[in-house]
Amino acid sequence: MTLHSDYILQVHGLSKSFSGVKALDDVQLNLRRGEVHALMGENGAGKSTFMKILIGLLTPDAGEVLFEGNELKNSDVREALKQGISMIHQEILIVPELTVAQNIFLGRESTQWFSSWLNDRDINQQAEILLKQIGLDVSPKTKMKYLSVAEMQMVEIAKAISNNAKVIIMDEPTSAISDKEVATLFGIIKDLKIKGVSVIYISHKMDEIYQIADMITVLRDGKYIGTKSAAELDRKSLITMMVGREINTLFPEKSASKGEVVLSIKNLSQRGKFENISFDVHAGEVVGIAGLMGAGRTEIARAIFGLDAFSSGEIVLKGHKITIESPRDAIKNGIGYVSEDRKGVGFIPALSVKHNITLASLSNHTKAGMIQDKSESAVATQMMNDLKIKASGMDQKVTHLSGGNQQKVVIGKVLLASPEIIILDEPTRGIDIGAKFEIYKLINELTTKGIAVVVISSELPEILGMSDRIVVLSKGKQTALLSREEATQETIMKYAMLH
Amino acid sequence: MKRIYLGLIALAMLAGCNQTSEKESSEKKMVIGVTMLSMQNEFIVNVSDEMEKKAQELGIELITVDAERSALKQIEQVESFIAQKVDAIVMNPCEVEASSPAVTKALAAKIPIINVNSETSTKPSAFVGSDDVESGRIAMKFIAEKLGGKGNVVMMHGYMGQAAQIKREQGAREILKQYPDLKLIAHQTGEWDRAKSMSLMENWIQSYGKDINAVFAQNDEMGMGAVNALTAAGMKDKVIVVSIDAIPDALQAVKKGTLDATVFQNAQQQGAKAIETAVKLHKGEAVEKEVLIPFQLVTKDNVATFIK
Amino acid sequence: MNNYFTQLGNSTKQRARGMGQYGIFIAFVVICLILSLITPKFLTVSNWTIIVTQVSINALLAFGVTFVIITGGIDLSLGSMVAVTGIVASLLAHPDDYPVIVPILAGLLAGVFMGAFNGAIITKSKVPPFIVTLGTMTIGRGVALILSKGRPVSNLSDLFNFIGGGNILGIPFPIIVLILAFVVCSLVLKKTILGRYIYAVGGNEQAAKASGIRVNKVKMAVYTICGGLAALAGILLTSRITTGQPNAGAGFELDAIAAAIIGGTSTSGGTGTMTGTLIGALLIGVISNGLDLLNVTSYYQQVVMGAIIIGAVVLDGWNQSAAQR
Repeated sequence: MTLHSDYILQVHGLSKSFSGVKALDDVQLNLRRGEVHALMGENGAGKSTFMKILIGLLTPDAGEVLFEGNELKNSDVREALKQGISMIHQEILIVPELTVAQNIFLGRESTQWFSSWLNDRDINQQAEILLKQIGLDVSPKTKMKYLSVAEMQMVEIAKAISNNAKVIIMDEPTSAISDKEVATLFGIIKDLKIKGVSVIYISHKMDEIYQIADMITVLRDGKYIGTKSAAELDRKSLITMMVGREINTLFPEKSASKGEVVLSIKNLSQRGKFENISFDVHAGEVVGIAGLMGAGRTEIARAIFGLDAFSSGEIVLKGHKITIESPRDAIKNGIGYVSEDRKGVGFIPALSVKHNITLASLSNHTKAGMIQDKSESAVATQMMNDLKIKASGMDQKVTHLSGGNQQKVVIGKVLLASPEIIILDEPTRGIDIGAKFEIYKLINELTTKGIAVVVISSELPEILGMSDRIVVLSKGKQTALLSREEATQETIMKYAMLH
Repeated sequence: MKRIYLGLIALAMLAGCNQTSEKESSEKKMVIGVTMLSMQNEFIVNVSDEMEKKAQELGIELITVDAERSALKQIEQVESFIAQKVDAIVMNPCEVEASSPAVTKALAAKIPIINVNSETSTKPSAFVGSDDVESGRIAMKFIAEKLGGKGNVVMMHGYMGQAAQIKREQGAREILKQYPDLKLIAHQTGEWDRAKSMSLMENWIQSYGKDINAVFAQNDEMGMGAVNALTAAGMKDKVIVVSIDAIPDALQAVKKGTLDATVFQNAQQQGAKAIETAVKLHKGEAVEKEVLIPFQLVTKDNVATFIK
Repeated sequence: MNNYFTQLGNSTKQRARGMGQYGIFIAFVVICLILSLITPKFLTVSNWTIIVTQVSINALLAFGVTFVIITGGIDLSLGSMVAVTGIVASLLAHPDDYPVIVPILAGLLAGVFMGAFNGAIITKSKVPPFIVTLGTMTIGRGVALILSKGRPVSNLSDLFNFIGGGNILGIPFPIIVLILAFVVCSLVLKKTILGRYIYAVGGNEQAAKASGIRVNKVKMAVYTICGGLAALAGILLTSRITTGQPNAGAGFELDAIAAAIIGGTSTSGGTGTMTGTLIGALLIGVISNGLDLLNVTSYYQQVVMGAIIIGAVVLDGWNQSAAQR
């Protein structure tokens, strides 16, 4: 056994099967001290299985994991933590009713009087130091539930540091935080590097990877594809490594022509969230809504769709003012909405693909209140083919599909209600590149059919690549309405940061 | 905080009302606090009604409360009677042991306390009721005589561990011992409940069929459940059913001949005697420590006298 | 394609999940087998007629509460509804008072009203169903006592008593009611829009709303249906024991909820079937009958029943976590 002192973690030949299906097949990883190592791959590539093995949640079938030169044989989370491997999960695991300090020291509480009495003062002091270290300005006595998602994430990092973590795994850490907070996070990661802490960074966002990562390892279908230094791997090659084929242009050529105005939003306001929003959407057109986190993008979409009430303004559909008090009204008026919150508002996990797809248009398949299974199945099969939804069958539960396919199910549901306007809120969040491309293609097909599309996205390339016109928001106010020609990353950012 | 405040005001107002009403009556009425086991039980309601009748006759004020089968609640109610300085307390105990502290407390406050219907382990000032063991004896004796001392019997218990259940079982078993050819082939709780006992009887019919010669149910509700099940199975005329309490439903059934006998527990006597004893104790007169009201067997021959 | 193995994996997961329902069915068959080996009296037509008759009341309640639990709610007022509807029906069911349809309709109406009352408060106030129905459970019991003045209502007409005690072609009437109710409830849940919406609301209320479903209407519907079925149970019970009793049905809600849970209905909502619930109810009935046949005291029956409830849920939990891996 050779001992490379500059490697903190070495993984060889790691394999893991679930009921005979290989989730990981001969995977390797070499992680240096103080290195940020991006782990890339489409959903289902085996990243999470890999990480679960590292933190002791799963036991591998074969292969070895060397941590500081010693073989890590355990499959015990506590042991992995003790050795110095911590993970910041995508879905943050905190106890909302406990304070920041109590969360950081959960399971390692400080005690006094023959360890019978909690010593909160001690952990508050320790937490204070930790929070200062990572530059998080909250009191250790604040209850966790009052923190923003980004702050919670930082608390998790503080927890990892307090565990003397030598390796911190971050799973999609920026999926729910704003750009400013991303900058803070990256600052912390850089500090960690200097201190010799290694970071395994999992993300779908290319921009981030190139900003922060030193090395990139790519997995595909559970197999190790390769490791390259970030400096010598360009985006196109990275995508090819991940997808296994070349994708020339991420955004397909537009083919639709602009038609009549379908939807006009006039001076729409919601107290404390957004004010005086006005824009038109034409048939066959894509209008993008850009803005930083908290600019009110989703709130506008929810108001138009009747999920939340608005305080003033008008929604005009083909020249007629309409009242929308519930999603039901919106759907009746031909408005469809694909929420950013796929799990929360999008699909029903326990229902099958078929039942999810037909949920918003079920009355088309009934006779005297009874559902006609034949016509329902036919329509669902058709939609699954049209959208290339990959599932074991239409009776598979949606909860078992990959993120991209779940998103397609939600879109399919909205499409079956035959909308004339579709609002897509972060349509590609958390889904892999292949599926992203298919969704872009789908948007194109929709506009070709004369459907008006509104796209909300945090990813500027996506907004720029898809939109005919772009509404830019800043702190609830509409600061610009840019044409495709006017819009660049810089102009959008300028207007998004106005005020 | 605000709510507590409002509560205090409300209490003060209530207290005020009480005082004025007391002042209005020229001479001070005797007040008896009454706490009953459960006002959802027909027999108990009857006893309570009889007490109310007697109290009106004697010009006594009754404060009647329902313990809802909770001994704890009953103790609290007695404590509140003590605080209100009632002249006497009548308690229909929820439990033999658990209700005993109430007796101790009342006696310590020098307020006479009378047990009605059943008795606590701590001896009260007086007990008015019937001996449940006797009712079990009467019922089983009837069965023994009807069967000529030979045959198979099943028994339905009330809630296991309650005083009435224990004593009625004890009485029944005493008689069973005297008749060695009278066999108890099954016994199970019907929880004093008609629907449960009906199901139980149905299952027994499946299990023992024509072997069953008689059913002893420890109360009429269960007896009626057994009658229903036997009637549905077409076996009623071959099986004797006897139960205890003589509720109106059971009396009707005895009249019709579907229930062979019930044992009458005299609610009127229990209620009236309880109030009379309380009055005597209040006046300082001598009373019997145990006023036992006898049970009576009700059969088709004498049922008419019991139906009001 | 990377989806290849997720697909494969998923289909095995599906099979594992399906086992949850078969699991309880298998358990049911095994228990029946054991009982028929121990006592020859168990596996007879007459005994099964009795089991199903006894089960009918609990099953009706369990059907109702299954609808409610699938939407993610709960109804604790079932037992009280049984009492109120039974009292209402029995008060109108004395011989020569009214035609027999009057007490039946009045009882049903009372149940539907109480159910709708539950639904209205739950949807209007946003107070959790557990608390609302805990309240109406107590209110209902009080109403039953008030209406009956705390005394059983007896002397009911023969025709009324036929509902719970009569036969048609040798089949006890409660069994006929049970079968009809089962068929209708299954159809509603599986084949109607309402049924689909019930699953949707319980599976993800927000997503259901965003799909244009009127969530409150669905909730109103399930609580009302639940009240109606409780009324049916109340009328059957009253007729079976030939009296209306104000304290009837105490604790029935727990047996009904147990039947639904044993049958695979998840208390977190979104899953459950009427077949599962029926098997759950039958299982409870079979155990109680079997232990009576064996003359085992009811104490042990309670222990066994509790163990089965926990066992069923644990089994379900294992299946679910196996499916998630």
